[in-house]
Amino acid sequence: MSDIAPQMWERLPPADAAAATTAPSLTYWQDARRRLWANKPAMVSIAFIALLILAAIFGPLFSPFTYADQNLRLANIPPAFEAYAVTDGQGGTTRFFLNASNFNLYEVDAEGHVLGLLRGERKDMLKKSQAFIFGDTTLTLDYSRLPARLVAADGTTISPSGWSWNRTYIFGTDQLGRDVLVRQLYGARISLTVAFVATLVNFFIGIFYGGIAGYIGGKPDAIMMRIVEIIATIPLTLYVVLLMVVFDSGLYSIIIAIGSVFWVDMARIVRGQILSLKSQDYVAAARTMGASTTRILTRHLLPNSIGPIIVTLTMLIPSAIFIESFMSFIGLGVTPPLASWGTLTSEAVETMRAYPHQLFFPAAAISLTMFAFNFLGDGLRDALDPRFRR
Amino acid sequence: MPAYILQRLGMMAITLWAIVTLTFFLMHAVPGGPFVSERMLAPEIEAALNAKYGLDQPIWAQYLSYLRGIVTLDLGPSFKYPGVSINTMIATGLPVTLRTGLLAVIAVVALGVPLGIVAALNRNKWPDTTVMLIATIGVAIPSYVIATVTLYIFALRLGWVPTFGLDDWRGYILPVFALSGFWISFVARLTRSSLLETFEQDFMTTARAKGLHPGQVLFKHGLRNSLVPVVTVLGPVVANLITGSFVIEQIFALPGIGRQFVLSITNRDYTAIMGITIFYAAALMVMILIVDLLYAVLDPRIKLTSAAA
Repeated sequence: MSDIAPQMWERLPPADAAAATTAPSLTYWQDARRRLWANKPAMVSIAFIALLILAAIFGPLFSPFTYADQNLRLANIPPAFEAYAVTDGQGGTTRFFLNASNFNLYEVDAEGHVLGLLRGERKDMLKKSQAFIFGDTTLTLDYSRLPARLVAADGTTISPSGWSWNRTYIFGTDQLGRDVLVRQLYGARISLTVAFVATLVNFFIGIFYGGIAGYIGGKPDAIMMRIVEIIATIPLTLYVVLLMVVFDSGLYSIIIAIGSVFWVDMARIVRGQILSLKSQDYVAAARTMGASTTRILTRHLLPNSIGPIIVTLTMLIPSAIFIESFMSFIGLGVTPPLASWGTLTSEAVETMRAYPHQLFFPAAAISLTMFAFNFLGDGLRDALDPRFRR
Repeated sequence: MPAYILQRLGMMAITLWAIVTLTFFLMHAVPGGPFVSERMLAPEIEAALNAKYGLDQPIWAQYLSYLRGIVTLDLGPSFKYPGVSINTMIATGLPVTLRTGLLAVIAVVALGVPLGIVAALNRNKWPDTTVMLIATIGVAIPSYVIATVTLYIFALRLGWVPTFGLDDWRGYILPVFALSGFWISFVARLTRSSLLETFEQDFMTTARAKGLHPGQVLFKHGLRNSLVPVVTVLGPVVANLITGSFVIEQIFALPGIGRQFVLSITNRDYTAIMGITIFYAAALMVMILIVDLLYAVLDPRIKLTSAAA
């Protein structure tokens, strides 16, 4: 015992009172906001989605082109090109670039604005070449061997002066000479419209159906859930396809088709929530005080299950976007000349060997949007759903 | 158990009947007859065509004869390809769809589960972050984007695989990858979170405390218990692989049922749309039943009783 130092016997000071009380108490929403705020991918996603919505609403207003403007002379122009410069005898300079996939020369200015298609002489079909005359300078486009090259009169190959961005058509043009950027923005409009409207429709049907089934319970609940089970057996894509075949393809049909089919998950979630909440004391208290069924449902049960509902809604948005583009891809979505990301991708597949840029932009747009909504959904789930708290 | 299977089969029959009825009346609600799109037909010819396909009868008689056809496994003739029955169309496309679909399911299980295990065992270390990053990307990118972009890179640019057709084994790589990409990622994420949850359980501590070999702890105690949710999603996986095959078969020009279905849609071949939808539905329900039975084998705690839900 003697090896215990005397100071070990001294009394400790009372425990720090401030340390005992932990974080300040937060309401459900304050807590959720904090968690969401701390979630970097989710915040980036929110910023991206906000930008996308703004671009979809206001972007087309600032563009000189519309989604249906065709200019066949300026078809399949890439977003970046290698410019050539030729000086004629009078000292004037013509800048142009060669579209290596369709053997056309397009006149451009020094900043990269596309001015127009250059007219050459008759094509020599045998030698696979075409002459272009600039004042007293003659250039020959030789496409007998690929890649095509430009040859001067003395037989030397001319090399381009450098890369330049396309300032007129920032994303290039498609096979009908329509501006890809504007069509992308219209695609964003369609995807977002379909997503939000279809999700809202799902929200109301799902809440109505699931709420009633969960609250009434018993036989009606069993029958209603059997129906849901039957619907859920078949992949929902099949229903949407069937409905789209019956309706004419178009924006409204696809909203109706998606909205009338995808409520099944929502109904299940709402029913589960209501079932677990309705035996709570506060519901009994409300009933004792004479509250009507509608009031109990809308004032007590639904607000308390809003977390999982919001999470399900956010998860529904990317699947709605996906289904819309999927339908458009197989030719059941919006009708031409309207552009959706799905139709843009499927049009680009036909020309992807020669013009990969037409595939790149819609593919990137839909992938990024899906990312954003997925991250946001994950973030909201972590923030709102107590089961996922760590 | 037999009672449960019987009950499930009964449910399936009812569901199938509902689907047949729904598709039948939906397809007959389409404005215009099946021959409207063709050039102006003489009235006699149109009447003869209608009589041949029984379209001159009242709709309930057509419905009953269609139902009779379903019961005898006869999906009727195609309206657009004279002399071809829907059964033949399905029979020619089935081997291709079945082969790619099966390979995709194998890819999902053979890649998704191990990736999930690797991630869970190395929680918050670089293998975990890498797997989760890939899985997050894979869940977000639509299958048709994966298909077209990989087609461009690996078939057109690099020339490693053929751009279409299934003449040699390399032709399968891209379609199977595009089909299964989403579900590999999904299963990897699911396996990881499920394994991590199982690791916290008391029986895992017990197994480790008894000095069992780590491999035995992982495979016999951990994995078996965490595979239950994975098996549950395999039903929907099969369903989605089948619907995903519509567009994948279209992009890679594979002569499967999915392509047949999309073609029927563009051709407005209503009997073919109906027949293939019903075939899909029936195939799916059988798959889901098999998965549910598998579920009970894997987890003895789950008792299959008639009192479902």
